[in-house]
Amino acid sequence: MFDEKDLILEAKHVTRRFPAAKGKVLVANNDINLKFYKGKTLGLVGESGCGKSTFMRFLVSLDKPSEGEILYKGQDITKLKGEKLRQHRQNIQMVFQDPAQSFNPKMKIRDVICEPLLNFKRITPAQKKETATKLLEMVELPGEMQDRFMHNMSGGQRQRVAIARALALEPEMIVMDEATSALDVSVQKTIIELITKLQREKNITIGFICHDIGLIQSFAHQVAVMYLGNIVEVLPGEAIGTEAKHPYTKALLASVFDIKMDFTKKIESIESEIPSPLDAPPGCPFCDRCDQCMEICKKERPLLKEIAPDHEVACHLFSGKDGE
Amino acid sequence: MAMLEVKNITISYQNRPTVMDFSMSLEKGQICSLVGESGSGKTTVIRAIFGLLAGGGKVTEGEILFEGESLLAYNKEQWRRLRGSDISMIFQDSGAMMNPTRRVGGAYTEYIRTHEKNISKKDAAKKGIEMLERMRLPSGDNVMRSYPFQLSGGMRQRVGIAMGMTYQPKLLLADEPTSALDVTTQAQIVRQMMELRENYGTSIIVVTHNLGVAAYMSDHIIVMRNGKIEDQGDRDYMLYHSENEYTHKLLEAVPSIGGKRYV
Ligand SMILES: Nc1ncnc2c1ncn2[C@@H]1O[C@H](COP(=O)(O)OP(=O)(O)OP(=O)(O)O)[C@@H](O)[C@H]1O
Ligand code: SF4
Ligand SMILES: [Mg+2]
Repeated sequence: MFDEKDLILEAKHVTRRFPAAKGKVLVANNDINLKFYKGKTLGLVGESGCGKSTFMRFLVSLDKPSEGEILYKGQDITKLKGEKLRQHRQNIQMVFQDPAQSFNPKMKIRDVICEPLLNFKRITPAQKKETATKLLEMVELPGEMQDRFMHNMSGGQRQRVAIARALALEPEMIVMDEATSALDVSVQKTIIELITKLQREKNITIGFICHDIGLIQSFAHQVAVMYLGNIVEVLPGEAIGTEAKHPYTKALLASVFDIKMDFTKKIESIESEIPSPLDAPPGCPFCDRCDQCMEICKKERPLLKEIAPDHEVACHLFSGKDGE
Repeated sequence: MAMLEVKNITISYQNRPTVMDFSMSLEKGQICSLVGESGSGKTTVIRAIFGLLAGGGKVTEGEILFEGESLLAYNKEQWRRLRGSDISMIFQDSGAMMNPTRRVGGAYTEYIRTHEKNISKKDAAKKGIEMLERMRLPSGDNVMRSYPFQLSGGMRQRVGIAMGMTYQPKLLLADEPTSALDVTTQAQIVRQMMELRENYGTSIIVVTHNLGVAAYMSDHIIVMRNGKIEDQGDRDYMLYHSENEYTHKLLEAVPSIGGKRYV
């Protein structure tokens, strides 16, 4: 399904450490390896604080890893500086959870959308009106909305404006951080429909952060599951329901409330709290909450291994190509 | 007679009706969910039942009867006695409701002492710790010594539930109690709320936009739209038999594992 010639961005051995109180070190991302392909969506899922946003910030050059490389079309973007970095930013754009807070409330929608284009001198001020109309129509909003302000639009409309702005520069890739989490399910659905339609039309690569594994599997081509800064499983989105192998992925799946679930069974949940990333266990990060934990799990950190095409798992239960 | 009887209420903010002709009734030990899009009036309804409408909101028509007594006729003192003892409320992020500069213990003992005038500080603290541990917060004394920001979202929500349950209210109102939480924590909190009913016979009204949560928890589901009841019934009716178009639209929007894919 994923062709190496379509590889557009690759994270190699990415680690991010933050200094913490009392001389401790917080490892927010631990040796992350992930690949993003042209025109495909990679969904990054995991509990709050596991390091999803930390990772995605590297892709849009808002932060740099302590170690490792981010290769965009073969070039390490963590090394870019000055004008080169500025020019590169056009390639990868970001959409945040709450667009109302990311933009100046005094700006008209037209200016929010056209600002990046003006910054890169891709349009002249005289072309703003026409450009804004075109971009608003692309996200299925009426062109007249460009005279409004962010605060008198609904959550779904704001998210559409943010998408229009991110796509204005015609980037190769967009990164969305919980972009639909604040929306109602029915509005969320229309946004997912919109981005998947635009993806098909423009062949855009999407990195999507989300803590809802049910949502992510409905439109991601690849899903990466993160736990305490580590990627524990990577698999095709359509395989989540049937092929997920890692005990943590399974625990996430078991705790989803689904309208198709078996209502006679009690919902399962991991009863313990997620440990602090400051006290991450030395072996498998999941070992103190895993009900299949073995001796080796406490000592040795399992590495990601391919157990089927496009399917990798980091767990001592699956140590070879034959799986199981 | 039902424990709670809401009869044809209209709720207005600045004389503009926001919820219209809303009725529901709830028996002891029943769980009812209010679902619907944001702005449909769900929170307004449960705040009206709690006598705590924000922004000058008022119940302008209808009746709210709790154990046969009209709540709308209550004075401040009566409300104060009712809240926290017979009816409690938990919010989307209980942490945001807590004073960030105060330890959980300080806030909790004060809460207990406004309800029990004669209890000593020490006994109030003991009671608090006991409740926290009953809500499965390990080492309650540690939680009491923490500031809200030192607790995870799930732990803060458990503190909120523990406070709300201190006096074993007959009715618990929960406004999006799990929306700010991860799926794993959400499952823990939902289980815990169901146990309240099993152990104490608590009746619960929960506002949620998660139809999966609503279907799992409730005996009765009310779908609200533009301030009115659009559809209602038990889980079986809602999921399989309703012919309401809007209900269908809401159900179709719920992402389902192994269900519809967009790519
Ligand atoms: N600038 C920083 N300085 C110190 N610690 C940080 C910093 N940024 C993030 N962290 C820590 O790194 C860890 C990962 O945080 P991150 O924001 O990446 O998580 P997340 O998966 O995006 O969570 P959420 O779902 O809540 O957004 C957390 O423990 C966080 O406190
Ligand atoms: S490596 Fe061991 S502890 Fe970790 S998930 Fe696998 S079985 Fe569980
Ligand atoms: Mg984040």
